[in-house]
Amino acid sequence: MRYNSFTEKLKNYFTGLGDRHAGSRRFLCWSYKQLSSITTSVYLLGLMALFFMVGTIFPQGGSIDDYIKEGGGFVFFVKLFGLLDFFSSPLFLILAFIFFLNLAICTYERLLVLQESPTFPKSYEPTHILMLAPDFSNAHSELRNAFAKLKFKVVSKDDDWTVVEKGLPYKWLTWLYHLGIILCFLGFILTYLFSFEGTITLKPREAQTLVPDTTGRIQSLWKDKTGQTDFHLKLDSFHTEYAEAPELDFPKDKLSRLAIGLGWKSPDYEMKGESLTAKDWRAKIKVIKGSGTLAEQTVEINEPLEYGNYTFYLLGFEQNFRLSVEDNPILLEAKEDEDIFIPGLGDSIKFGTFRSGTLYKLDGTIEMLKPYTIVKHTGKDTDEELGRIEPGAIMEIDGVNIKLVEVEESAILSYRYDPGVGILWWGGILVLVAMALRFYGSWYRIAYQVTDTASIELNIMTRGLGSSSTKIIKSLEKHLPITKQS
Amino acid sequence: MSSYDLILSRDSYLLAFELRLFWSITFLYGLSFLLFAFHILSRTPVLGKAARTTLILSVIAHTALIVLRTFEGGRAPFQTLYESLSWFAWSASLTFLYVSRKWKDIHIPGVFVTVLAMGACLYALLSRSPAVEPLAPPLQSYWFEWHVILAFFSYAVFVVSASIEATYLGVKPLIGRGAEAYGFSSDMLEDFHSMAFKLVLFGFPLLTFGIFSGAAWANEAWGRYWSWDPKETWSLITWTVFALYLHAKAIPRFKGLPASVINIVGFICMMMTFLGVNWLAKLLGVPSLHIYAV
Ligand code: HEM
Repeated sequence: MRYNSFTEKLKNYFTGLGDRHAGSRRFLCWSYKQLSSITTSVYLLGLMALFFMVGTIFPQGGSIDDYIKEGGGFVFFVKLFGLLDFFSSPLFLILAFIFFLNLAICTYERLLVLQESPTFPKSYEPTHILMLAPDFSNAHSELRNAFAKLKFKVVSKDDDWTVVEKGLPYKWLTWLYHLGIILCFLGFILTYLFSFEGTITLKPREAQTLVPDTTGRIQSLWKDKTGQTDFHLKLDSFHTEYAEAPELDFPKDKLSRLAIGLGWKSPDYEMKGESLTAKDWRAKIKVIKGSGTLAEQTVEINEPLEYGNYTFYLLGFEQNFRLSVEDNPILLEAKEDEDIFIPGLGDSIKFGTFRSGTLYKLDGTIEMLKPYTIVKHTGKDTDEELGRIEPGAIMEIDGVNIKLVEVEESAILSYRYDPGVGILWWGGILVLVAMALRFYGSWYRIAYQVTDTASIELNIMTRGLGSSSTKIIKSLEKHLPITKQS
Repeated sequence: MSSYDLILSRDSYLLAFELRLFWSITFLYGLSFLLFAFHILSRTPVLGKAARTTLILSVIAHTALIVLRTFEGGRAPFQTLYESLSWFAWSASLTFLYVSRKWKDIHIPGVFVTVLAMGACLYALLSRSPAVEPLAPPLQSYWFEWHVILAFFSYAVFVVSASIEATYLGVKPLIGRGAEAYGFSSDMLEDFHSMAFKLVLFGFPLLTFGIFSGAAWANEAWGRYWSWDPKETWSLITWTVFALYLHAKAIPRFKGLPASVINIVGFICMMMTFLGVNWLAKLLGVPSLHIYAV
C-alpha cells in the first residue's frame, strides 16, 4: 500500500530548508509514516480501551477529598494523572489526539490509494475449477455472457485471465465509515470545547430570563461576553399523569424464591398506601420576547424544546406549599418532603408529593385526581401519616388548625448548549449506513480463465456477509453445462 | 370480589405461572449444559445430540415465556434487568441454534452458550425483582427500545462468536489426536473458525447502532449524549476491542492467535458492560461514588 504521498511533500519542504532541519525532517516523516499505519491503530485502539477502563475503575467527577475519605487507594497516581476527571486529563486528551491524527491520516492516505486505478496481478491461484461438458464449444463467449447475465462487469483482461466485478464498492464503504468516525470525533471536540449546561426552575406564569452561570471551555476565555439570553421562558401549565402501581410482595432470600419456582409459595401483588407512580410530566412552555410569543411547546421527558442555540429538557418538578396556622395572615412556606416547624405544635410536620392530574387506574379507567397531599408527622425513624389534605382545606393536628392555602408547582428544566450534536448525528448516520452496507452487502471480484482442457479456473474473492461463492457457482451452473467442480 | 381484587389475583397468578415456567427453563438450560459437558468429557456424540435437543426444548419454552411476559407487561419484554437477562439467555441460545444448524456433529460451543444462559436466568430469578411495573418516564422512548433490541442482538452474536473461538482454540491442537470424536476434521476446522469472524462482522454494526441509539436517547432525555457513566464506558470499551479485532484480522502478524484472544477479550468486555460494571473497582478496592441504577 502506498502511504507516502504526504511524506514526500514533507521531505521536499524540509529539503528546501537545508540541513539544519534534517533531524526534524526525519522525525516528522517517521511520525507521519507511523501514523498512517494500521498496525499503529491496532496499538492505539488497545491503549484507548485500557484508558477507558481506567475511567470505569475510578469514580469520575468526585473530589479527591471525598475519594480519600471513602478509603480510595493509589492516591499518588490519582492526583498525578487526574484519574478522577480522567476523560478531561492531559494524558487522555493526548492519546485521543494521537488516535485522531492516526485516523485522519489513514483516511487521507487511503483516499489517495482509492483514487488510483487498481492494478491486477498477472496470474491467480484458482479457488474453484469447473469442468465443462466435452462437446461444449465457444466457452469464452458463453462464459462472458453468463457473467454479463449475472450483472458482472469486466474490469481487467489480458491473454489468460479476465477479471469481473459486481456489488457494492466495499473499499469506498470502509473509507466512508472511517470518515464518519472522523466527523463524530469533530462533534466530540466541539462538545468538549463549547458545550455547557445548567438548570432553571420555572414558576407558573412568571416570565424568566435564562442567565447561564457556566460557559464552555472556550467561551470561558471571554466569559463576560456570554450574558443572559434576549428571550424569556414562561411556564403556562404543568400536568402530571399517574398510574396505579400495585406492589409485589416478593421474598429476597434465595430459598423462598426457589420455593416459588417449585410452586410451594406464591408471589402477591397488593395495593398498599397510595400505590401511585408518575407516568409522565408535561410542561407547556412559551418562549416570549416583548409581548410576542416566539415559540410554544409542551415539553416532556424525551421531548425537549429547541430554541435559539439551546435545548430545554424537562427534568422534574418542584412543589411549594403555603400554609397558615390558626388563621395567621403570615404564611409559612415549605417544599415537598421538607420539615416545617409549626409554632404551637412543638413538633414538625411535612407534606408528601402533591398529587394532581390524570390517573390511569388499574382497571383501565382514567380519572382526574382531586388534588391532595399527605401530611406526615416527622418521626425519628419513620414518619407517621396524619391523613390527606386538599388545597383550601384545614386539618387539625394536636389542637392546632393548619390550612393548606396554596400549592405551587414549578417545572425544573435543564438547558444545554452543544454545537457538537449536529455533526455527531451526521457522522453517526454515515458510519451506520456505510458500515451496514459494507458488512451486510456483497461484493465479488472473480478472475477466470478457460484452459485447453475445457475447464474453467476461477479465483473468487468476496466481501460482505451477503456474498457467497457457492451461490455464484450455482448461478453459473444455470447458464453453463458444468459437469463437475472442485 | 371487587374488580381490583380480580385484577390483582389474576396478575399474581400469571406471575406465579411465569416464575414456575422460568425455573423449568433454567433447569432445562442446566440439563443441556450438563449433557454438553458430559459429551465433551466422554466424547460420545449421542450426548451432544441429546444436549442440543434439550436446548431446542428450552428455547421453545423460553419463547412462550417471553410471549407471556409481553402479555403481562403490555410492552416489549426487555426493559428491566430481570427481563433483559431472560432476553439475553433466549437470544444467545436461539442464535447458537441458528448458527450451528449446519454442523451436524459439532456440539462443543453449546457448553459455553448454555452455561451463560443458565447463569443469566439464575441471576434474574435469584437476585432481581420480577414485578411488572409501569416504566419510568425516561425509558418511554423508541430510541430506548431500539437501543436495547440491537445491543442485545449484538450480545447474543458475540456470545456465540466467543464460544466458537474458544472451541477452535481448544480443538486445534487435537486435530489428528481425537478431535474427530467431536465432529472436527482438519479440512473443515478453518471453515468452522471463520464463523467466529463472520459473527463479529454481523454483530459490530449492531453494537455500533446500540451505542449510537443509546447516545441519541440520552440526548433526548437528558440533553447530554455521553456522560462517561461506567456502563456507557464499558460499551465503548467493548466496541473498541471489537474494532481492534477487526483490524487485527486485516494484519497478517495479528490475524491468528492474537485476533482469537482479542475476540474473547471483547466478549469479556461485553459481559462487563452488561453486568459487572464495577467489579474491577471493587477488586482494586476503589470506592465507587458513581452508582448506576439499572
Ligand atoms: C474508532 C476507530 C476505528 C474503527 C471503529 C474502525 C473500524 C474498522 C473496521 C470494523 C474495519 C474492518 C472491516 C472493513 O474492512 O470494512 C476496519 C478496516 C480498516 N481500518 Fe479501521 N477503524 C478505526 C480506526 C482506524 C484507524 C485509526 C485506521 C488507521 C490506520 C484504520 C484503518 C483501517 C484500514 C486500512 C482498514 C482496512 C483493512 C483491510 O484492508 O481489510 N482504521 N476499520
